[in-house]
Amino acid sequence: MLCERCKMREANIKYTEVINGIKTEHNLCAQCAKEMDFGPYSAMFDGEFPLEKLLSDLLGISRESREESQTSGIVCPTCKTSYDTFVEKSCFGCQDCYSVFDPLIRDNIKKLQGSSQHVGKIPKFQKAGLAKQEREDSKVGGQLSREKQIIFWQAKLKEALQVEDYEEAAACRDEIRRLQESENRQEAKEIQGKETKQNEVQENEGKDKEIRQEDGADA
Amino acid sequence: MHRWFDETALDSSVVLYSRIRLVRNWEEYPFSLCLSDAEGEEMVKHLFQYTEDFKTPDGLPFQRLWLNQLSGLERQALRERHILNSSLLERKAPMGALLSKDESISMIFNGNDHIRIQVMAPGLQLAKAYEVADRLDDRLNQKISYAFDEKYGYLTSFPTNVGTGLHAMALLHLPSLSKGKRFTNLIGEMGRFGTTVRGLNGEERENFGDLYMISNQKTLGQSEKEMVDLVNRVAFQLAEQEKQVRDMYRSNHRISLENEVYKSYGILKYARRLSIKEAMLYLSQVLMGTSEGILKMQTPCSVYRIMLGIQSANLKQLSDRPLDKAELEIARANYIREELPELF
Repeated sequence: MLCERCKMREANIKYTEVINGIKTEHNLCAQCAKEMDFGPYSAMFDGEFPLEKLLSDLLGISRESREESQTSGIVCPTCKTSYDTFVEKSCFGCQDCYSVFDPLIRDNIKKLQGSSQHVGKIPKFQKAGLAKQEREDSKVGGQLSREKQIIFWQAKLKEALQVEDYEEAAACRDEIRRLQESENRQEAKEIQGKETKQNEVQENEGKDKEIRQEDGADA
Repeated sequence: MHRWFDETALDSSVVLYSRIRLVRNWEEYPFSLCLSDAEGEEMVKHLFQYTEDFKTPDGLPFQRLWLNQLSGLERQALRERHILNSSLLERKAPMGALLSKDESISMIFNGNDHIRIQVMAPGLQLAKAYEVADRLDDRLNQKISYAFDEKYGYLTSFPTNVGTGLHAMALLHLPSLSKGKRFTNLIGEMGRFGTTVRGLNGEERENFGDLYMISNQKTLGQSEKEMVDLVNRVAFQLAEQEKQVRDMYRSNHRISLENEVYKSYGILKYARRLSIKEAMLYLSQVLMGTSEGILKMQTPCSVYRIMLGIQSANLKQLSDRPLDKAELEIARANYIREELPELF
Protein backbone atom coordinates (compact mmCIF):
# COMPACT_ATOMS: atom_id res chain seq x y z
CA MET A 1 0.00 0.00 0.00
CA LEU A 2 1.25 3.50 -0.79
CA CYS A 3 1.50 6.26 1.74
CA GLU A 4 -1.72 8.31 1.69
CA ARG A 5 0.14 11.57 2.14
CA CYS A 6 2.94 11.49 -0.43
CA LYS A 7 1.50 8.63 -2.52
CA MET A 8 5.04 7.74 -3.51
CA ARG A 9 6.54 5.52 -0.87
CA GLU A 10 5.36 2.27 0.66
CA ALA A 11 3.27 2.88 3.79
CA ASN A 12 4.77 1.10 6.77
CA ILE A 13 3.17 2.96 9.66
CA LYS A 14 -0.46 2.50 10.58
CA TYR A 15 -1.81 5.33 12.66
CA THR A 16 -5.23 4.97 14.26
CA GLU A 17 -6.89 8.07 15.62
CA VAL A 18 -9.96 8.00 17.86
CA ILE A 19 -11.66 11.35 18.34
CA ASN A 20 -14.99 11.41 20.21
CA GLY A 21 -15.48 7.73 19.47
CA ILE A 22 -14.94 8.16 15.72
CA LYS A 23 -12.10 5.97 14.53
CA THR A 24 -10.02 6.95 11.50
CA GLU A 25 -7.08 5.05 10.14
CA HIS A 26 -4.09 6.47 8.29
CA ASN A 27 -1.37 4.61 6.43
CA LEU A 28 1.84 6.58 6.19
CA CYS A 29 5.46 6.10 5.23
CA ALA A 30 8.18 6.71 7.81
CA GLN A 31 9.21 9.99 6.22
CA CYS A 32 5.72 11.52 6.24
CA ALA A 33 5.12 10.22 9.73
CA LYS A 34 8.25 12.03 10.83
CA GLU A 35 6.98 15.28 9.32
CA MET A 36 3.57 15.04 10.97
CA ASP A 37 3.02 15.97 14.57
CA PHE A 38 2.22 13.00 16.80
CA GLY A 39 3.02 14.73 20.06
CA PRO A 40 5.12 12.56 22.37
CA TYR A 41 5.22 9.71 19.83
CA SER A 42 7.01 11.66 17.12
CA ALA A 43 10.36 10.89 18.76
CA MET A 44 9.84 7.31 17.65
CA PHE A 45 10.34 8.23 14.01
CA ASP A 46 13.49 10.25 14.56
CA GLY A 47 16.27 8.14 13.19
CA GLU A 48 17.07 4.83 14.81
CA PHE A 49 15.48 3.67 18.00
CA PRO A 50 17.75 4.76 20.84
CA LEU A 51 18.41 1.47 22.62
CA GLU A 52 21.00 3.03 24.87
CA LYS A 53 18.47 5.57 26.04
CA LEU A 54 15.93 2.90 26.75
CA LEU A 55 18.31 1.18 29.13
CA SER A 56 19.50 4.38 30.73
CA ASP A 57 15.94 5.50 31.36
CA LEU A 58 15.36 2.18 33.00
CA LEU A 59 18.44 2.65 35.17
CA GLY A 60 18.24 6.31 36.01
CA ILE A 61 15.44 8.29 37.47
CA SER A 62 13.56 10.38 34.95
CA ARG A 63 15.45 13.27 33.42
CA GLU A 64 13.41 16.11 34.92
CA SER A 65 13.49 14.84 38.46
CA ARG A 66 17.21 14.23 38.12
CA GLU A 67 17.90 17.80 37.13
CA GLU A 68 16.10 19.09 40.16
CA SER A 69 17.69 16.76 42.67
CA GLN A 70 21.26 16.90 43.82
CA THR A 71 22.26 13.48 42.59
CA SER A 72 23.94 14.72 39.44
CA GLY A 73 26.91 15.97 41.47
CA ILE A 74 27.88 12.50 42.64
CA VAL A 75 31.16 11.36 41.14
CA CYS A 76 33.01 8.10 41.75
CA PRO A 77 36.28 9.11 43.47
CA THR A 78 38.24 6.26 41.86
CA CYS A 79 37.44 6.53 38.17
CA LYS A 80 35.76 9.98 38.09
CA THR A 81 32.63 8.63 36.42
CA SER A 82 29.73 10.90 37.30
CA TYR A 83 26.24 9.59 37.93
CA ASP A 84 25.05 11.43 34.83
CA THR A 85 27.63 9.70 32.64
CA PHE A 86 26.61 6.39 34.14
CA VAL A 87 22.95 6.98 33.35
CA GLU A 88 23.79 8.11 29.84
CA LYS A 89 25.99 5.14 28.96
CA SER A 90 24.47 2.62 31.40
CA CYS A 91 28.00 1.44 32.05
CA PHE A 92 30.10 1.49 35.22
CA GLY A 93 33.65 2.87 35.17
CA CYS A 94 35.18 0.77 37.93
CA GLN A 95 34.21 -1.57 40.74
CA ASP A 96 33.91 1.28 43.25
CA CYS A 97 31.12 2.83 41.17
CA TYR A 98 28.86 0.11 42.53
CA SER A 99 29.29 1.25 46.14
CA VAL A 100 29.28 4.97 45.30
CA PHE A 101 26.09 4.81 43.21
CA ASP A 102 24.54 2.02 45.25
CA PRO A 103 21.75 4.06 46.90
CA LEU A 104 20.83 5.50 43.49
CA ILE A 105 20.81 2.31 41.49
CA ARG A 106 19.69 -0.21 44.09
CA ASP A 107 16.03 -0.17 43.06
CA ASN A 108 16.77 -0.10 39.37
CA ILE A 109 19.13 -3.04 39.49
CA LYS A 110 16.43 -4.90 41.32
CA LYS A 111 13.98 -3.97 38.59
CA LEU A 112 16.41 -5.01 35.87
CA GLN A 113 17.60 -8.24 37.45
CA GLY A 114 14.62 -9.18 39.59
CA SER A 115 16.88 -9.42 42.62
CA SER A 116 19.61 -7.44 44.32
CA GLN A 117 21.40 -10.23 46.13
CA HIS A 118 24.05 -12.43 44.58
CA VAL A 119 23.60 -16.08 45.54
CA GLY A 120 25.99 -17.73 43.13
CA LYS A 121 29.67 -18.53 43.07
CA ILE A 122 32.11 -16.76 45.33
CA PRO A 123 35.70 -16.37 44.13
CA LYS A 124 37.81 -19.00 45.85
CA PHE A 125 41.23 -17.43 45.66
CA GLN A 126 40.88 -13.72 46.36
CA LYS A 127 44.42 -12.93 47.48
CA ALA A 128 45.00 -10.73 50.49
CA GLY A 129 48.19 -9.48 48.88
CA LEU A 130 49.73 -6.05 48.61
CA ALA A 131 47.21 -4.73 46.14
CA LYS A 132 44.31 -5.57 48.44
CA GLN A 133 46.04 -3.97 51.43
CA GLU A 134 46.53 -0.77 49.46
CA ARG A 135 42.87 -0.73 48.58
CA GLU A 136 41.84 -1.23 52.18
CA ASP A 137 44.10 1.65 53.18
CA SER A 138 42.64 3.99 50.63
CA LYS A 139 39.07 3.44 51.82
CA VAL A 140 38.94 7.11 52.84
CA GLY A 141 36.98 7.43 49.61
CA GLY A 142 34.22 5.52 51.35
CA GLN A 143 33.70 8.36 53.80
CA LEU A 144 33.33 10.86 51.03
CA SER A 145 30.65 8.74 49.48
CA ARG A 146 28.86 8.43 52.82
CA GLU A 147 28.48 12.20 53.04
CA LYS A 148 27.26 12.23 49.48
CA GLN A 149 24.92 9.44 50.33
CA ILE A 150 23.36 11.46 53.13
CA ILE A 151 22.95 14.41 50.75
CA PHE A 152 21.30 12.10 48.26
CA TRP A 153 18.87 10.64 50.75
CA GLN A 154 17.97 14.07 52.04
CA ALA A 155 17.15 15.13 48.48
CA LYS A 156 15.14 12.00 47.96
CA LEU A 157 13.28 12.58 51.24
CA LYS A 158 12.36 16.04 50.06
CA GLU A 159 11.10 14.68 46.75
CA ALA A 160 9.05 12.03 48.52
CA LEU A 161 7.46 14.60 50.81
CA GLN A 162 6.57 16.77 47.83
CA VAL A 163 4.62 13.97 46.20
CA GLU A 164 3.28 12.87 49.60
CA ASP A 165 4.78 9.42 49.36
CA TYR A 166 5.15 8.92 53.10
CA GLU A 167 6.21 5.31 52.89
CA GLU A 168 9.18 6.30 50.73
CA ALA A 169 9.88 9.28 53.00
CA ALA A 170 10.06 7.04 56.06
CA ALA A 171 12.48 4.73 54.28
CA CYS A 172 14.65 7.72 53.38
CA ARG A 173 14.60 8.98 56.94
CA ASP A 174 15.68 5.57 58.25
CA GLU A 175 18.49 5.43 55.73
CA ILE A 176 19.78 8.87 56.76
CA ARG A 177 19.61 7.88 60.41
CA ARG A 178 21.49 4.66 59.70
CA LEU A 179 24.23 6.48 57.82
CA GLN A 180 24.61 9.11 60.51
CA GLU A 181 24.75 6.48 63.23
CA SER A 182 27.35 4.43 61.43
CA GLU A 183 29.38 7.61 60.98
CA ASN A 184 29.29 8.27 64.71
CA ARG A 185 30.19 4.67 65.45
CA GLN A 186 33.17 4.87 63.12
CA GLU A 187 34.46 7.98 64.87
CA ALA A 188 34.12 6.35 68.29
CA LYS A 189 35.94 3.30 67.01
CA GLU A 190 38.77 5.38 65.69
CA ILE A 191 39.41 6.96 69.07
CA GLN A 192 39.23 3.56 70.73
CA GLY A 193 41.50 2.09 68.07
CA LYS A 194 44.22 4.63 68.76
CA GLU A 195 44.22 3.78 72.45
CA THR A 196 44.48 0.07 71.73
CA LYS A 197 47.37 0.75 69.42
CA GLN A 198 49.33 2.49 72.14
CA ASN A 199 48.69 -0.26 74.66
CA GLU A 200 49.29 -3.31 72.58
CA VAL A 201 52.11 -2.87 70.19
CA GLN A 202 52.79 -6.49 69.42
CA GLU A 203 49.78 -8.16 68.00
CA ASN A 204 48.97 -10.91 65.56
CA GLU A 205 48.77 -10.20 61.86
CA GLY A 206 45.01 -9.93 61.61
CA LYS A 207 44.70 -7.22 64.21
CA ASP A 208 47.72 -5.44 62.87
CA LYS A 209 45.92 -5.05 59.59
CA GLU A 210 42.85 -3.62 61.26
CA ILE A 211 44.89 -0.92 62.97
CA ARG A 212 46.64 -0.05 59.76
CA GLN A 213 43.29 0.35 58.14
CA GLU A 214 42.16 2.75 60.84
CA ASP A 215 45.42 4.63 60.38
CA GLY A 216 44.49 5.05 56.78
CA ALA A 217 41.09 6.38 57.66
CA ASP A 218 42.71 8.71 60.14
CA ALA A 219 45.06 10.23 57.60
CA MET B 1 41.55 -26.93 10.30
CA HIS B 2 39.25 -28.89 12.55
CA ARG B 3 36.92 -26.65 14.53
CA TRP B 4 34.41 -27.42 17.24
CA PHE B 5 31.41 -26.77 14.99
CA ASP B 6 32.46 -29.54 12.60
CA GLU B 7 30.78 -31.84 15.08
CA THR B 8 27.48 -29.97 15.27
CA ALA B 9 24.35 -31.65 14.10
CA LEU B 10 26.12 -34.88 13.31
CA ASP B 11 24.05 -36.41 16.06
CA SER B 12 22.08 -33.55 17.63
CA SER B 13 19.04 -32.89 15.50
CA VAL B 14 17.52 -29.75 16.96
CA VAL B 15 19.99 -28.24 19.43
CA LEU B 16 23.02 -27.24 17.40
CA TYR B 17 25.30 -26.04 20.14
CA SER B 18 25.58 -24.76 23.69
CA ARG B 19 27.58 -21.76 24.78
CA ILE B 20 28.68 -20.48 28.18
CA ARG B 21 30.05 -17.00 28.74
CA LEU B 22 31.57 -15.80 32.00
CA VAL B 23 32.44 -12.15 32.51
CA ARG B 24 35.06 -11.12 35.08
CA ASN B 25 37.04 -8.03 36.04
CA TRP B 26 40.44 -7.71 37.69
CA GLU B 27 40.11 -5.65 40.84
CA GLU B 28 43.37 -3.76 40.28
CA TYR B 29 42.22 -1.91 37.18
CA PRO B 30 39.24 0.32 36.41
CA PHE B 31 36.79 -1.36 34.02
CA SER B 32 37.86 -1.68 30.38
CA LEU B 33 35.85 1.22 28.97
CA CYS B 34 37.59 3.59 31.43
CA LEU B 35 41.12 2.31 30.74
CA SER B 36 43.61 4.23 28.62
CA ASP B 37 45.24 2.34 25.76
CA ALA B 38 48.52 2.12 27.67
CA GLU B 39 46.83 0.72 30.78
CA GLY B 40 44.80 -1.66 28.65
CA GLU B 41 47.90 -2.95 26.90
CA GLU B 42 49.71 -3.42 30.19
CA MET B 43 46.77 -5.34 31.63
CA VAL B 44 46.43 -7.60 28.57
CA LYS B 45 50.19 -8.32 28.71
CA HIS B 46 49.86 -9.33 32.37
CA LEU B 47 46.86 -11.50 31.58
CA PHE B 48 48.76 -13.19 28.73
CA GLN B 49 51.61 -13.81 31.15
CA TYR B 50 49.34 -15.28 33.83
CA THR B 51 47.63 -17.57 31.34
CA GLU B 52 50.86 -18.72 29.72
CA ASP B 53 50.67 -22.26 31.12
CA PHE B 54 46.92 -22.65 30.54
CA LYS B 55 45.97 -25.76 28.60
CA THR B 56 42.67 -26.94 27.11
CA PRO B 57 41.02 -30.00 28.75
CA ASP B 58 42.79 -32.18 26.15
CA GLY B 59 46.15 -30.74 27.15
CA LEU B 60 46.65 -28.52 24.11
CA PRO B 61 48.09 -25.01 24.34
CA PHE B 62 46.09 -21.87 23.49
CA GLN B 63 46.76 -19.58 20.59
CA ARG B 64 47.39 -15.92 21.56
CA LEU B 65 46.15 -13.02 19.47
CA TRP B 66 46.20 -9.23 19.70
CA LEU B 67 42.77 -8.52 18.27
CA ASN B 68 43.53 -4.85 17.62
CA GLN B 69 46.29 -5.91 15.23
CA LEU B 70 43.94 -7.94 13.05
CA SER B 71 42.37 -6.55 9.89
CA GLY B 72 38.70 -5.61 9.84
CA LEU B 73 37.95 -8.65 7.71
CA GLU B 74 39.70 -11.03 10.08
CA ARG B 75 37.74 -9.59 12.97
CA GLN B 76 34.49 -9.86 11.04
CA ALA B 77 35.26 -13.52 10.34
CA LEU B 78 35.89 -14.07 14.07
CA ARG B 79 32.52 -12.49 14.74
CA GLU B 80 30.82 -14.80 12.27
CA ARG B 81 32.38 -17.73 14.10
CA HIS B 82 30.98 -16.28 17.37
CA ILE B 83 34.35 -15.50 18.97
CA LEU B 84 33.76 -11.75 18.96
CA ASN B 85 30.46 -10.02 19.45
CA SER B 86 29.40 -7.11 17.30
CA SER B 87 30.05 -4.50 19.99
CA LEU B 88 33.76 -5.41 20.00
CA LEU B 89 34.09 -5.29 16.24
CA GLU B 90 34.81 -1.57 16.15
CA ARG B 91 36.72 -1.35 19.42
CA LYS B 92 40.17 0.19 18.84
CA ALA B 93 41.67 -0.37 22.30
CA PRO B 94 44.26 -3.13 22.85
CA MET B 95 42.39 -6.42 23.10
CA GLY B 96 43.84 -9.87 23.57
CA ALA B 97 42.39 -13.27 22.86
CA LEU B 98 43.23 -16.79 23.89
CA LEU B 99 41.88 -19.37 21.47
CA SER B 100 41.90 -23.12 21.68
CA LYS B 101 42.86 -24.79 18.42
CA ASP B 102 39.30 -25.83 17.57
CA GLU B 103 38.02 -22.42 18.83
CA SER B 104 35.61 -24.05 21.28
CA ILE B 105 37.29 -22.28 24.20
CA SER B 106 38.20 -18.64 24.06
CA MET B 107 39.09 -15.83 26.42
CA ILE B 108 38.84 -12.18 25.40
CA PHE B 109 40.90 -9.69 27.42
CA ASN B 110 39.97 -6.03 27.68
CA GLY B 111 36.76 -6.26 25.64
CA ASN B 112 33.73 -4.72 27.32
CA ASP B 113 35.04 -6.31 30.52
CA HIS B 114 38.57 -7.35 31.46
CA ILE B 115 37.98 -11.04 30.94
CA ARG B 116 35.34 -12.95 29.01
CA ILE B 117 35.59 -16.71 29.09
CA GLN B 118 33.60 -18.54 26.43
CA VAL B 119 33.09 -22.26 26.02
CA MET B 120 31.10 -23.81 23.18
CA ALA B 121 30.06 -27.41 22.73
CA PRO B 122 28.00 -29.17 20.05
CA GLY B 123 24.51 -30.31 21.08
CA LEU B 124 22.85 -29.58 24.41
CA GLN B 125 25.81 -29.72 26.81
CA LEU B 126 25.47 -26.58 28.89
CA ALA B 127 26.44 -28.19 32.17
CA LYS B 128 29.59 -29.68 30.69
CA ALA B 129 30.54 -26.40 29.02
CA TYR B 130 29.98 -24.56 32.30
CA GLU B 131 32.30 -26.97 34.08
CA VAL B 132 35.11 -26.15 31.65
CA ALA B 133 34.49 -22.40 32.00
CA ASP B 134 34.29 -22.70 35.78
CA ARG B 135 37.66 -24.45 35.97
CA LEU B 136 39.32 -21.81 33.79
CA ASP B 137 37.74 -19.12 35.96
CA ASP B 138 39.19 -20.70 39.12
CA ARG B 139 42.63 -21.08 37.56
CA LEU B 140 42.76 -17.44 36.58
CA ASN B 141 41.43 -16.46 40.00
CA GLN B 142 44.48 -18.17 41.53
CA LYS B 143 46.60 -15.56 39.78
CA ILE B 144 44.45 -12.44 40.09
CA SER B 145 41.72 -11.16 42.40
CA TYR B 146 38.37 -10.37 40.86
CA ALA B 147 36.18 -7.33 41.38
CA PHE B 148 33.62 -8.88 43.68
CA ASP B 149 31.01 -7.61 46.09
CA GLU B 150 29.09 -9.68 48.62
CA LYS B 151 25.81 -8.10 47.62
CA TYR B 152 26.17 -7.69 43.86
CA GLY B 153 28.49 -10.62 43.20
CA TYR B 154 30.96 -10.31 40.33
CA LEU B 155 31.07 -6.66 39.31
CA THR B 156 30.89 -5.93 35.61
CA SER B 157 30.89 -2.90 33.29
CA PHE B 158 27.24 -3.33 32.44
CA PRO B 159 24.54 -3.86 35.05
CA THR B 160 23.04 -6.51 32.76
CA ASN B 161 25.90 -8.92 33.58
CA VAL B 162 26.37 -8.22 37.29
CA GLY B 163 26.07 -11.10 39.76
CA THR B 164 27.21 -14.35 38.26
CA GLY B 165 28.43 -12.72 35.03
CA LEU B 166 27.06 -15.83 33.38
CA HIS B 167 25.24 -16.16 30.09
CA ALA B 168 24.18 -19.64 29.13
CA MET B 169 22.91 -20.04 25.59
CA ALA B 170 21.67 -22.85 23.38
CA LEU B 171 21.23 -22.50 19.61
CA LEU B 172 18.17 -24.31 18.30
CA HIS B 173 17.08 -25.08 14.77
CA LEU B 174 13.29 -24.70 14.74
CA PRO B 175 12.11 -24.79 11.12
CA SER B 176 8.77 -26.48 11.85
CA LEU B 177 7.86 -24.91 15.17
CA SER B 178 8.59 -21.38 13.94
CA LYS B 179 6.09 -21.78 11.08
CA GLY B 180 3.22 -22.24 13.52
CA LYS B 181 0.94 -19.34 14.42
CA ARG B 182 1.48 -19.82 18.12
CA PHE B 183 5.25 -19.46 17.91
CA THR B 184 5.33 -15.73 18.69
CA ASN B 185 3.22 -16.37 21.79
CA LEU B 186 5.46 -19.22 22.76
CA ILE B 187 8.50 -16.94 22.60
CA GLY B 188 6.70 -14.44 24.80
CA GLU B 189 5.90 -17.18 27.30
CA MET B 190 9.58 -18.04 27.58
CA GLY B 191 10.18 -14.59 29.05
CA ARG B 192 8.09 -15.55 32.05
CA PHE B 193 10.57 -18.27 32.94
CA GLY B 194 13.46 -15.82 32.79
CA THR B 195 14.78 -16.85 29.41
CA THR B 196 14.89 -14.95 26.14
CA VAL B 197 14.47 -16.40 22.68
CA ARG B 198 16.00 -14.45 19.80
CA GLY B 199 16.53 -15.15 16.13
CA LEU B 200 20.21 -15.60 15.32
CA ASN B 201 20.06 -13.57 12.13
CA GLY B 202 17.30 -11.13 12.98
CA GLU B 203 13.73 -11.07 14.16
CA GLU B 204 10.83 -13.27 13.10
CA ARG B 205 10.43 -13.34 9.31
CA GLU B 206 13.87 -11.92 8.74
CA ASN B 207 15.46 -14.81 10.57
CA PHE B 208 16.61 -16.86 7.59
CA GLY B 209 17.79 -20.28 8.59
CA ASP B 210 15.32 -20.65 11.49
CA LEU B 211 18.07 -20.57 14.10
CA TYR B 212 17.06 -19.35 17.56
CA MET B 213 19.14 -18.51 20.60
CA ILE B 214 17.75 -19.37 24.03
CA SER B 215 19.54 -17.71 26.94
CA ASN B 216 19.08 -16.61 30.53
CA GLN B 217 17.65 -13.13 30.94
CA LYS B 218 19.01 -12.35 34.38
CA THR B 219 22.43 -12.77 35.94
CA LEU B 220 21.69 -11.87 39.55
CA GLY B 221 19.72 -13.62 42.28
CA GLN B 222 20.16 -17.18 41.08
CA SER B 223 23.05 -19.58 41.31
CA GLU B 224 25.03 -20.56 38.22
CA LYS B 225 23.61 -24.06 38.40
CA GLU B 226 20.02 -22.78 38.47
CA MET B 227 20.65 -20.56 35.45
CA VAL B 228 22.30 -23.33 33.45
CA ASP B 229 19.49 -25.73 34.40
CA LEU B 230 16.84 -23.22 33.40
CA VAL B 231 18.22 -22.64 29.90
CA ASN B 232 18.81 -26.36 29.60
CA ARG B 233 15.20 -27.12 30.50
CA VAL B 234 13.68 -24.52 28.19
CA ALA B 235 15.93 -25.55 25.29
CA PHE B 236 15.04 -29.18 25.86
CA GLN B 237 11.30 -28.39 25.95
CA LEU B 238 11.46 -26.39 22.72
CA ALA B 239 13.50 -29.12 21.06
CA GLU B 240 10.92 -31.71 22.11
CA GLN B 241 8.08 -29.61 20.71
CA GLU B 242 9.96 -29.12 17.46
CA LYS B 243 10.43 -32.87 17.19
CA GLN B 244 6.72 -33.46 17.82
CA VAL B 245 5.70 -31.02 15.10
CA ARG B 246 8.20 -32.59 12.72
CA ASP B 247 6.92 -36.09 13.46
CA MET B 248 3.36 -34.97 12.88
CA TYR B 249 4.26 -33.26 9.63
CA ARG B 250 6.22 -36.25 8.47
CA SER B 251 3.45 -38.75 9.12
CA ASN B 252 0.76 -36.58 7.50
CA HIS B 253 2.63 -34.87 4.69
CA ARG B 254 5.59 -37.09 3.98
CA ILE B 255 5.77 -36.31 0.27
CA SER B 256 5.63 -32.54 0.64
CA LEU B 257 8.31 -32.66 3.34
CA GLU B 258 10.56 -34.79 1.17
CA ASN B 259 9.83 -32.54 -1.78
CA GLU B 260 10.92 -29.42 0.11
CA VAL B 261 14.07 -31.04 1.40
CA TYR B 262 15.17 -32.58 -1.90
CA LYS B 263 14.34 -29.43 -3.83
CA SER B 264 16.47 -27.38 -1.46
CA TYR B 265 19.33 -29.86 -1.77
CA GLY B 266 19.05 -29.73 -5.55
CA ILE B 267 19.17 -25.95 -5.67
CA LEU B 268 22.16 -25.80 -3.34
CA LYS B 269 23.98 -28.51 -5.25
CA TYR B 270 23.50 -26.97 -8.68
CA ALA B 271 23.01 -23.23 -8.25
CA ARG B 272 25.68 -20.94 -9.65
CA ARG B 273 24.79 -17.85 -7.62
CA LEU B 274 23.25 -17.70 -4.14
CA SER B 275 22.36 -14.77 -1.89
CA ILE B 276 22.83 -15.26 1.84
CA LYS B 277 19.06 -15.27 2.33
CA GLU B 278 18.43 -18.02 -0.24
CA ALA B 279 21.36 -20.07 0.93
CA MET B 280 20.26 -19.95 4.58
CA LEU B 281 16.66 -20.85 3.68
CA TYR B 282 17.70 -23.92 1.69
CA LEU B 283 20.40 -24.96 4.14
CA SER B 284 17.79 -24.86 6.88
CA GLN B 285 15.68 -27.35 4.90
CA VAL B 286 18.71 -29.55 4.22
CA LEU B 287 19.67 -29.45 7.89
CA MET B 288 16.19 -30.67 8.79
CA GLY B 289 16.39 -33.28 6.03
CA THR B 290 19.62 -34.73 7.37
CA SER B 291 18.50 -34.79 10.99
CA GLU B 292 15.20 -36.43 10.01
CA GLY B 293 17.05 -39.07 8.04
CA ILE B 294 15.49 -38.08 4.71
CA LEU B 295 18.78 -37.05 3.16
CA LYS B 296 21.60 -39.53 3.52
CA MET B 297 24.95 -37.97 2.76
CA GLN B 298 27.83 -40.11 1.53
CA THR B 299 30.22 -38.49 3.99
CA PRO B 300 29.20 -37.06 7.37
CA CYS B 301 28.64 -33.32 7.06
CA SER B 302 27.81 -30.54 9.49
CA VAL B 303 25.31 -28.30 7.74
CA TYR B 304 25.82 -25.72 10.45
CA ARG B 305 29.49 -25.52 9.50
CA ILE B 306 28.40 -24.64 5.96
CA MET B 307 26.03 -22.02 7.38
CA LEU B 308 29.00 -20.40 9.10
CA GLY B 309 31.22 -20.85 6.06
CA ILE B 310 28.94 -18.99 3.64
CA GLN B 311 28.87 -15.77 5.67
CA SER B 312 30.29 -12.84 3.72
CA ALA B 313 33.50 -12.16 5.68
CA ASN B 314 34.50 -15.79 5.68
CA LEU B 315 34.07 -16.08 1.90
CA LYS B 316 36.00 -12.86 1.41
CA GLN B 317 38.75 -14.21 3.62
CA LEU B 318 38.95 -17.40 1.58
CA SER B 319 39.29 -15.45 -1.63
CA ASP B 320 42.67 -14.04 -2.65
CA ARG B 321 41.16 -10.80 -3.96
CA PRO B 322 38.32 -8.42 -2.99
CA LEU B 323 34.86 -9.61 -4.09
CA ASP B 324 31.90 -7.53 -5.21
CA LYS B 325 28.30 -8.57 -4.57
CA ALA B 326 27.86 -10.74 -7.64
CA GLU B 327 31.24 -12.41 -7.15
CA LEU B 328 30.39 -13.04 -3.54
CA GLU B 329 27.19 -14.82 -4.54
CA ILE B 330 29.14 -16.93 -7.04
CA ALA B 331 31.76 -17.73 -4.38
CA ARG B 332 28.96 -18.75 -2.01
CA ALA B 333 27.41 -21.12 -4.51
CA ASN B 334 30.85 -22.60 -5.29
CA TYR B 335 31.56 -23.07 -1.59
CA ILE B 336 28.28 -24.90 -1.01
CA ARG B 337 28.71 -27.11 -4.09
CA GLU B 338 32.11 -28.15 -2.86
CA GLU B 339 31.15 -28.69 0.75
CA LEU B 340 27.81 -30.44 0.34
CA PRO B 341 28.46 -34.19 -0.04
CA GLU B 342 26.73 -36.37 -2.63
CA LEU B 343 23.67 -38.36 -1.57
CA PHE B 344 23.43 -42.12 -1.44
